[in-house]
Amino acid sequence: MKEISELVTPSDVRYTRDHEWAKVEGDIIRIGVTDYAQDQLGDVVFVEVPKVGKKYGKGEECGSLESVKAVGEVYIPVGGEITRVNTSLEDSPDLVNSAPYTDGWMAELKPSDPSEIEGLMTCEEYIEMLKGLKE
Amino acid sequence: MEKPERTVLYDRHKELGARMVEFGGWEMPIEYPSGVVNEHLNVRSGAGIFDVSHMGRFVIRGGGALRFVQHVLSNNAEAIDLAPTAAQYTLISSETGGAIDDAFLYRFVEGEYLLVVNAANRKKDWDHLQLHAGSFGGVELADLTYDMAMFALQGPGSRRIIETVAEDPASLPEPYRNAVGISSIADARVMIARTGYTGEPLGFELFVSRKDAPGLWDLFLEKGAVPAGLAARDTLRLESFLPLYGHEFGMDPEGREIPCFAFPIAKWAVSLSPLKGDFVGRAALEKQFAAYSKIIARDYSSISDLPRMFKCVAVTGRGIARAGAEVFKDGKPVGYISSGTMVPYREFEDKGLVSRQRGDHKLRAICTAFLDSDVIEEDKLVVDVRGKPVEAVVVEYHLRSDAPPYAHPIVYGHEIPELPFFCPRRFCKGAGKQADPGPAAEGRVGGRAGHIDRGGAPPAALLRKAVENTRWRQYECINLIPSEMTPSPMVRLLSIMDPAFRYAEHKGAKAFYDSEIFYYQGTDFIAEVEWLLEEEFRKYLGCVEAETRVISGQMANMTVFSAMVDYINRADRRSEPRRIRSVMNNHIGRGGHLSAQPMGALRDFVARDPHTERPAVANFPVMSENPYKIDVSAAFELIDSCRPELIIFGKSMVLHREPIAEIRKYLDEAGIEAVLMYDAAHVLGLIGPYFQRPFAEGVDLVTGSTHKTFFGTQRGIIASRYEQSEKRYELWEAVRRRAFPGAVSNHHLGTLVGLLMAAYEMNFFKDEYQRKVIANAKAFARALKDFGFDVAGDPGIGFTETHQVVLNVGYARGPEVAQRLEANNIICNYQATPADEGFTAASGIRMGVAEMTRFGMEEKDFHSLASLMKEIVIDGANPLDKVKSLREPFRELHFCFTDNEYADLMESLRKLV
Repeated sequence: MKEISELVTPSDVRYTRDHEWAKVEGDIIRIGVTDYAQDQLGDVVFVEVPKVGKKYGKGEECGSLESVKAVGEVYIPVGGEITRVNTSLEDSPDLVNSAPYTDGWMAELKPSDPSEIEGLMTCEEYIEMLKGLKE
Repeated sequence: MEKPERTVLYDRHKELGARMVEFGGWEMPIEYPSGVVNEHLNVRSGAGIFDVSHMGRFVIRGGGALRFVQHVLSNNAEAIDLAPTAAQYTLISSETGGAIDDAFLYRFVEGEYLLVVNAANRKKDWDHLQLHAGSFGGVELADLTYDMAMFALQGPGSRRIIETVAEDPASLPEPYRNAVGISSIADARVMIARTGYTGEPLGFELFVSRKDAPGLWDLFLEKGAVPAGLAARDTLRLESFLPLYGHEFGMDPEGREIPCFAFPIAKWAVSLSPLKGDFVGRAALEKQFAAYSKIIARDYSSISDLPRMFKCVAVTGRGIARAGAEVFKDGKPVGYISSGTMVPYREFEDKGLVSRQRGDHKLRAICTAFLDSDVIEEDKLVVDVRGKPVEAVVVEYHLRSDAPPYAHPIVYGHEIPELPFFCPRRFCKGAGKQADPGPAAEGRVGGRAGHIDRGGAPPAALLRKAVENTRWRQYECINLIPSEMTPSPMVRLLSIMDPAFRYAEHKGAKAFYDSEIFYYQGTDFIAEVEWLLEEEFRKYLGCVEAETRVISGQMANMTVFSAMVDYINRADRRSEPRRIRSVMNNHIGRGGHLSAQPMGALRDFVARDPHTERPAVANFPVMSENPYKIDVSAAFELIDSCRPELIIFGKSMVLHREPIAEIRKYLDEAGIEAVLMYDAAHVLGLIGPYFQRPFAEGVDLVTGSTHKTFFGTQRGIIASRYEQSEKRYELWEAVRRRAFPGAVSNHHLGTLVGLLMAAYEMNFFKDEYQRKVIANAKAFARALKDFGFDVAGDPGIGFTETHQVVLNVGYARGPEVAQRLEANNIICNYQATPADEGFTAASGIRMGVAEMTRFGMEEKDFHSLASLMKEIVIDGANPLDKVKSLREPFRELHFCFTDNEYADLMESLRKLV
């Protein structure tokens, strides 16, 4: 498994305690899971993405990632209505492993309350949290 | 909790960056940084290495060891004492018919068993064994788990690696499942078995001393083995439908013991042989087996004795069915998933034997499920995946291991595309419809794929394609299939004249002083033909009797085997007849033909050895430096120990004479009354001074097919040396009865007439023909050797003493090379050599010179042919036109009657067709 120093933690996204990320792109928010999450899970072999059009409240379970050995739930970092999902994950779930912040994104949503994202961690805060986990 | 144990390779795993987990009390690598998906695929495509040192290893020895293992283990341990494949899967059964553990029993050295058990069960197993050992005298039990390390080297690339590192490749186990051997690798003693837990047809498990383990591990990695962890081990075993204790054996989630026969592998792991005696759980297992036997026949009257069984289930909906998930059929719960996940696989091209594995991979969710025993294949199921209903289906298997060197994934719903010439489509499981069988409508014609039904009006198209095909094979191809021959124009014409398509059943009748009584009228001509044909064969073979009604060599053998059973039961016509007690033959992997094997014509006639529970067949030992030659002195020893009632000489990959005279002499001196039979299928046309004379050398019976080196139509022959005055003549009479009415009613009268002409040709031309065939074969072999081919056989005698030449073209390359030769109009066949696991891994090319010799090719022409073969096989060129030119001058058949005096009669016959 990767050391903290090896983990990718972009500064233009915000992080949750459950290792999801959220990124503002205009008036929508794109979400996915972090490098740490995919590294912990190992090879992702199945992704259940949220349903387009469905509304979730912040922190609700909206999908899952499965490895050969385990299932990991995905909780929505920011409440809102799903506008688009990454359909390429159906055939290539490994995109979550190879590119968690780019090609491996999970969904886009229209936030009910755009200010919710401000409550998420910055990359520095997330790294601090990870250090706590590793100890 | 106790601190988990570490294998001697712990540091290696950490250095490789493995993710370590606690498993069965050991800290083990679950996966390495490349991940489980890559590790799984790498085993299926290359070679993976697993550290399985955590497994328990017990040694059992002492005078009471066999009796002890027969008592505490479910399988028949005596079988591995007596077999060359000295390992077996077994269960440590409980008194109530469940499994305390599943295990593998090895016998690397005489008088000592090595039992490998699951890590988590080691202490429990040990206590159980100790408890029972007390009641057996002379049993010594030792736990060598910490003294030894154990690796599993698995996958299509494993064989090459192990051959590279073994100091003496001859010490490696034979190429059969569960074979064992002791080798030296990098100065370390390594016990090697062809076993594994991955479903790979090529795989080895290695036992080494603890101190040697790190060095050997490094060596295997250096040679290309890629480490794989427990996660991949689990997905690989799931895909190959192998049980895991705790999931498929042991207790179910509700704490009830799982009956052993719930997992189909029990059929191979439980012996109910009377000779095994009573063993732990026997009574319960007998009851389960009775229920199992009914259930597989879909009789559910004893289903309460085996209410649930494990089945393969493929998920067809979206989701992963994992262990514990409930399963429903028609809305009712029918069981649960015992093991399940998503596994990666690489598809193969749909190109039969030359299919290659595709580079990219896909994923599929598969499982093993514990389902009500009346749930059957193709039943549609719904799995509750964390509250979500996901569709699934019962399938027969997820993977096939019977086409080495690769394991082949079997994907539900896969449809075989319509291809012009590979394997006409058969029923494809899960494809949703039954595909057109179409073998009659498809064929490879004129060297190109051609559909007869697309060539115009069907009758004209068939005629046209038949013309094309005949021209292609007769004028443009070099035909080297050693079991084929072109018959002469006379033989061909006679074969379609009257009485082709008629009947002439006849039988010797004691009431008429043994004269033959015919059942039909209009048979005088064919009766005369048959007597003349018998006479020609008696003359040709130098024997007393001949039976010519059998219509193939395979039927000839089956008739003899059936006659043997008839003969040995002649005193008792009321009891169930006993089978032939013990047979000796050539191993199918060393040239023996299936017509003399229990898998072929011998099946229903040879007894099972009660000690091994296998057909009572012993194979001729072969020379270590030349596996195509029988080791005569070792054969004597084997005859002494197995006391065969029937000894069968002859092979379909035949390079050398059979040691008939030596074996006959030995039998006579030792007073062993075995029937000595020579299956001369391939070499029937070579019988004589240039090859060998089986009757003169001492056989009792000769069988054969009449169209390989012999000149005939496709039929069979049985001949005997028994005189009417001797007691064994009764065996000959049994042969006659088993030919008719045993084997034939209609015996293909047309080809019988053709065969008489062929016999005339052979008796007239044999001297020159036989001499030339053998000279040409030797010249061909020599030329191929000179052009750089690896030619099998003894170079001291010119590689071959028959019409055959065998090439080694590289492991598993036979099918592809044979196809490339065909693309250049050289027709031969690929063949598994003694070193190959089976025909799909064939490294041999088998050729015969008889047919082309008959077309007039001489030694220099075979030299030219060898040169063209070098261009094709070694240089990768396609000299199709050169091959056609080589064939050009050899279109007329020799060694047949072509004089003008027959022209008018031939013309009359032609006009009558």
